[in-house]
Amino acid sequence: MVTHDVIVVGAGLAGMRASIEIAREGLSVGLVSKVHPVRSHSVAAQGGINAAIKPTDSWENHMFDTVKGSDYLGDQDAIEVLCKEAPEDIMELERMGAVFSRDEAGNIAQRPFGGQGYPRTCYLADRTGHGLLHLMYEQLMKYNVFLYEEWHVVKIVVEEGTVRGVVALEFSTGKLHRLHSKAVIVATGGYGRVFRSTTNALTSTGDGMALALRAGATLMDMEFVQFHPTTLKRTGILITEGARGEGGYLINSEGERFMKRYAPQKLELASRDVVSRAEQQEIEEGRGVDGCVLLDLRHLGEEKINERLPQIRELAIAFAGVDPVREPIPIKPGVHYSMGGVMTDVWGRTPVEGLYACGESACVSVHGANRLGGNSLLETIVFGRRAGRSAVEYVTSTPFRPFPDRALVEAAHEVALIMNRTEGELFSSIREEAKATMEECCGIFRDDERLKRGLEKIREIRKRYDNNIFLSSKQDGYNTELLNILELGNILELSEVILLSALNRKESRGAHFRRDYPERDDENWLKHTLVTIRDGSYTIGYKPVVITRFKPMERRY
Amino acid sequence: MATKVKFIIKRFDPELHKDPYWQGYTLDVEDGMTVLEALLKISTTEDPTLTFRRSCRSAICGSCAMTINGYPRLACNTQVIEEFRRKGEVVIEPLKNYTVLKDLMVDMTPFWNKMERITPYLVPSKEPEDGWKITKEDEKKIDRAQRCIMCGSCNSVCNTQAVDQHFTGPSALAKAWRFVGDVREKEKRERLLRLSSEHGMWDCTRCIHCTEYCPKGVEPLEAIERLREKALTEGIDDNPGARHVMALVDSVRRVGRLDEAAMTFKTLGFLRSIGMIPFGLKMEIHGKMPHPILFPVIEDIEEVRKIYKKVTEEEED
Repeated sequence: MVTHDVIVVGAGLAGMRASIEIAREGLSVGLVSKVHPVRSHSVAAQGGINAAIKPTDSWENHMFDTVKGSDYLGDQDAIEVLCKEAPEDIMELERMGAVFSRDEAGNIAQRPFGGQGYPRTCYLADRTGHGLLHLMYEQLMKYNVFLYEEWHVVKIVVEEGTVRGVVALEFSTGKLHRLHSKAVIVATGGYGRVFRSTTNALTSTGDGMALALRAGATLMDMEFVQFHPTTLKRTGILITEGARGEGGYLINSEGERFMKRYAPQKLELASRDVVSRAEQQEIEEGRGVDGCVLLDLRHLGEEKINERLPQIRELAIAFAGVDPVREPIPIKPGVHYSMGGVMTDVWGRTPVEGLYACGESACVSVHGANRLGGNSLLETIVFGRRAGRSAVEYVTSTPFRPFPDRALVEAAHEVALIMNRTEGELFSSIREEAKATMEECCGIFRDDERLKRGLEKIREIRKRYDNNIFLSSKQDGYNTELLNILELGNILELSEVILLSALNRKESRGAHFRRDYPERDDENWLKHTLVTIRDGSYTIGYKPVVITRFKPMERRY
Repeated sequence: MATKVKFIIKRFDPELHKDPYWQGYTLDVEDGMTVLEALLKISTTEDPTLTFRRSCRSAICGSCAMTINGYPRLACNTQVIEEFRRKGEVVIEPLKNYTVLKDLMVDMTPFWNKMERITPYLVPSKEPEDGWKITKEDEKKIDRAQRCIMCGSCNSVCNTQAVDQHFTGPSALAKAWRFVGDVREKEKRERLLRLSSEHGMWDCTRCIHCTEYCPKGVEPLEAIERLREKALTEGIDDNPGARHVMALVDSVRRVGRLDEAAMTFKTLGFLRSIGMIPFGLKMEIHGKMPHPILFPVIEDIEEVRKIYKKVTEEEED
């Protein structure tokens, strides 16, 4: 059995940042990821990372914008940490070797982003995530973190209330391994693949959230699913908010800049939930173009597009056959980000001793009901570092506790159950049905009837999965089908939790919009939704929002 | 409108087969379908054993590089219909120059090891009090090199890599330039010295395949040339690669063309040139040996020297 002080699950920005924090202390880190680190989905973040680094800006301004963007559901103590520590983290990234785009004076440049009163988004053209992810991989090589590449964690092992490690499947051999540790950090990113149309990678199946839930942790605010306003027609590939930050217009079939009716002040740069709903409404009321609206960049000119948005031009040409220099890009809202996740405090700690979470898979909560663009990369760095730091403190004062023998047996039994079934239903049909259900019943506009129907359907699908899922290829090594089935188990678990949380929240706030309860209701719903598993079934609870500086106000853009 | 397209895929499972084999699949392909979408369709509806890497499906994670109709491509941004129009079918193989693990999945370990060898992180110089100032020109110098997504395509078509598995390779060399060209880097000279050793930047034959087939416009060859230029201006020239280049420059200046015999001596030195004698004899037998003494100066040598003069003047400006 292999032993590390800390096992980190997921090698995106948050997971790598946490690993580096631990490895720098000379402690042993095992970083487990189902893909090589540079393949992680952080790589696809385009627009940038927020920090109040100019003397004319302040962390308080950044904090206010974030609180308002969250529709007052973000915990203000956590948001204060995020915004206050952001500038120092940016400087550390710079010292590590991050290449940020520069202004005329040679300093780090910043661009305007949605929902913010100041241009405070630092960027590297339109591939900021790629720049930072490769940077973090460089640091990973520098600090000699032990990498379990193409390993898939099937179980977080908890005994007598404390973490003991994980059981993971080695993709190349199909063997299950015990990885013994004092602490486990979950950093597996989001669950975009719960839905059919998403900007997320094929690998974003929310594994860590489902694993943590089963290990006794709490999932918080799972009903808040961010729809990004600009995703490409057909493929759902992301077109950065930076395109609007640089001055792009949204227009409908009548050539109208329709955002002036929805957000007269901020127009295209209102927060994402507001813009996505406006687009959806335009489309549903017949002012769309082939199920989309149009993102017009033509007035920016070829030179600016090439300098600031080169990847956007490439993507639009390659995936939609449209050159934004000459034509507007057909776009629609698509699932992009999960505000909810594994409940943690500002040090990444969960209620399970030794279990931590950070990045998109965690819910601190800094995004509340709606995340601002440029705050997700920031969260991975600030809270990745903090989760790593608190894990260091924990493991240096905690002895190794034994790894329970039955953990491997249980995990092996679960996999064998799937392996040994000789007939049943293939994963593809189940997966497509589940995704279609989520898209239809848990989209931008929700109501009681749809959510109930969705929940019923997902429960029925989960029964079929549990009793009848069939693995047709039985080979041990490189069994993609087995991996798909294990991921599907996580997708279904999260689907049910999302629907359950959404059904219970009888108000509209941020990304969660109920047609039957169209108003925000601070009196009854200024609180976080909590879901845990108790005795094999879901229990819903609530906890108050932390409010320190900014009293909830009506939100207008 | 759907088109029937035949996919011919190279399959190999070392658990089951001794040798790779070809397998065909026919799909109805809609306009806009990518090769990755086609592979996903095959693996979910027809053959779940078909194995390949994939993740972002938007040409930024670098997972799905493979050989498509003979050339390294990202499956996710390659249109099926275009390939079908070009070749009448779509032939898919794993990347070349790598060991195949299963089907279209190759062992990337040597690729990552090459990265690790070049000290793949910034060694920062002392930061000025008010932060580093980086001009647009500084940015531009390393802009292309740092667009690399580490898909491994360049190494799969690299001619040097094909004969020397220890060659640092285009992608790692582009990465090396990303640091040598960074105004914040402290150990530029040390890096250039290390890169000047065997299997390093001078082993590139400049076949341009890396630049030609890079899906992200990284232009590794350009990075390699910048490294070489920088090494020479830093006076790091005590190695066969640098000597070869200098001998070439000198030969053209002197006689207006390559004096191969003289270049061999200048590049390898006297002792190692003796080892080249059998090779020289073989060339002689095949009538390929230039005359070792009677090496005429070309007619318009003055024109050549004018070019040299002009270049030298421009450099001095």
